[in-house]
Amino acid sequence: MTAYIVRRLFATLPVMAVVALFVFFLLRFAPGDPAAIIAGEDATAEAIAAVRGKLGLDRPMVEQFFVWILQLAQGDMGVSIFSNLAVTRLISQRLEPTVALTLSTLFVAVALAIPVGVVAAWKARKLVDRLVMGFAVLGFAMPGFVLAYILIYFFAVQWQLLPVQGYRPIGEGLWPFVECLILPSVALGVTYMALIARITRASMLEVLAQDYIRTANAKGLATDRVLLLLALKNAAVPIITVIGIGIALLISGVVITETVFNIPGLGRLTVVAVLKRDYPVVQGLILVFAAAKVLVNLIIDISYAFLDPRIRY
Amino acid sequence: MSANILEVRDLQTQFNTLDGVVRAVDGVSFDLARGETLGIVGESGCGKSVTALSILRLIPPETGRIAAGSIKFEGEELTTLGEEEMKRLRGHRISMIFQEPMTSLNPVLTVGTQIAENVVRHMGVPWRAARERACEMLDLVRIADARRRLDEYPHQLSGGMRQRVMIAMALSCDPQVLIADEPTTALDVTIQAQILQLMLELKEKTGTAIVLITHDLGVVAETTERVVVMYAGRKVEEAPVEALFTEPLHPYTRGLMRAIPRLDIEADAAGTRPRLQEIPGLVPRLTQPIPGCAFAPRCGFATGRCAVESPPLLDVGAGHTVACWEVDRVRASAL
Ligand SMILES: Nc1ncnc2c1ncn2[C@@H]1O[C@H](COP(=O)(O)OP(=O)(O)OP(=O)(O)O)[C@@H](O)[C@H]1O
Ligand code: SF4
Ligand SMILES: [Mg+2]
Repeated sequence: MTAYIVRRLFATLPVMAVVALFVFFLLRFAPGDPAAIIAGEDATAEAIAAVRGKLGLDRPMVEQFFVWILQLAQGDMGVSIFSNLAVTRLISQRLEPTVALTLSTLFVAVALAIPVGVVAAWKARKLVDRLVMGFAVLGFAMPGFVLAYILIYFFAVQWQLLPVQGYRPIGEGLWPFVECLILPSVALGVTYMALIARITRASMLEVLAQDYIRTANAKGLATDRVLLLLALKNAAVPIITVIGIGIALLISGVVITETVFNIPGLGRLTVVAVLKRDYPVVQGLILVFAAAKVLVNLIIDISYAFLDPRIRY
Repeated sequence: MSANILEVRDLQTQFNTLDGVVRAVDGVSFDLARGETLGIVGESGCGKSVTALSILRLIPPETGRIAAGSIKFEGEELTTLGEEEMKRLRGHRISMIFQEPMTSLNPVLTVGTQIAENVVRHMGVPWRAARERACEMLDLVRIADARRRLDEYPHQLSGGMRQRVMIAMALSCDPQVLIADEPTTALDVTIQAQILQLMLELKEKTGTAIVLITHDLGVVAETTERVVVMYAGRKVEEAPVEALFTEPLHPYTRGLMRAIPRLDIEADAAGTRPRLQEIPGLVPRLTQPIPGCAFAPRCGFATGRCAVESPPLLDVGAGHTVACWEVDRVRASAL
């Protein structure tokens, strides 16, 4: 197992290298020029060229790439073109809100979706099941930001139960922290919840039809609760897989949700950096997102071995 | 105390399907004496498994139901027993072993857990004691190195070992009745013999009565004391095992006997005996009520009456009963 993990971690290096290559060149081939933005709308061609020279953007692209990679190898992501702050610093400042939002969304979605999926499977084709699955389709179809505005309208504006927007670090106390995260987590999590609930129901139904469930019944074990818990363990692998895929979705959803709720996280940072063509910041962010996805995948793969004894690495 | 631990009377179990109501079991009756081994034989689809599942009331409620009849266990009616009481009975006083050892054990739980689970549930002992019991049981079914095996998962065991585990599990709470539904069909021939031998030995030790379901008359001859022959959801003949083999009286039973695999073709490449389907013709569809004898379309002895009037069970003495209008002609003809 340890050997497997080490091997997998090494295998992430080429993946990250490819991501780095793509993000670097795609950004530069995309229309838009940070120098023109800095120099201002009325700037002359010479003024823009001067800015380019100052930023080092006039050097051959391949040279720029290797300079960046060498910096990266030393843990330096470069400096923001606009704010002159180190990219690592910018990212680490914005990390907490995004991590908090992702984890709380994950928690809300999983904690609700799995029981709901289990109940739907247990009461398959009955009213509860139909209702739940109907909501799942709805939740899946509804864009997160639409739901976000609906939630804000009712919970924040009409009933004034929760803040409209914003973020409070956990250092300022648990309730203010949680309070700000509830609406964004729900808005971001609904699609995800629908996905997990559906897959939970499907894999539970499959498991409940297995011979070993009949054996469990023949043992008289089936107080339904015991039986469902047992079956959930059997159904876990596909569910965990979808949770993993969902985390990838979350990372993209975060960008929109942070904007809607005005949360100063990585998502907002990304939007601003992309609009301004702040190359070093965008590059750094994409690498961080990619690393997060790779890590999540690794954790998911490792969890398989714990959930299903037939899987060994 | 009645001599019979289990009495099944006129059992009818039906399923709703898209093609209509399937009468999977259509008026079957038999008794099981304490400590006895009873065989139930018949071709695939004749209702053997459904009979077994009916006794444990494990017919899937969404599609199936026990439509009529009575099942008495220790004099207690099971068809109307509450689900909670039924759960206390299952795996405790009546246990069941299934055909598919590869899929009947839960792949994500250790063997020890699966046996101990049953013991905890029914004996009300703590887990530690239940694990000891599980270890004892694995010893009993002659799994070497039982203590280490407790922590292994089903996929680490061979088919024969898994079936031993199933037996250990089924017997872990000292049941009075063990229903074994084709326990060896999926195993290769040498392992089959070992497992059957093991079941018989354990039966001697524990006094558990066994209902052994099989389509293999060879297995019946070697292991059972009395045999029920089923056809299309009905019992067509019942007899002590010697009587059945010396003088089978139902044309269907005779067909089965002729279809016993000869030694030279006993096992195919996979090591399993071929299924008994050598009687010409097809099993009737069970979605329509069959007015006469269900075997009539395939029967060489059939007369006009057979197709319209159902033959009653005729007692020919010494515990031998047969449902056939033409018993005398059958008896007179060569085997
Ligand atoms: N859940 C079900 N729904 C509908 N029909 C069923 C169901 N279970 C069994 N049947 C039908 O009941 C009949 C008897 O099936 P059963 O499984 O008892 O046969 P069997 O004698 O055990 O055969 P085999 O030797 O193949 O195990 C078959 O015609 C089968 O199609
Ligand atoms: S009753 Fe008639 S059809 Fe049925 S087995 Fe006897 S002879 Fe054959
Ligand atoms: Mg069967």
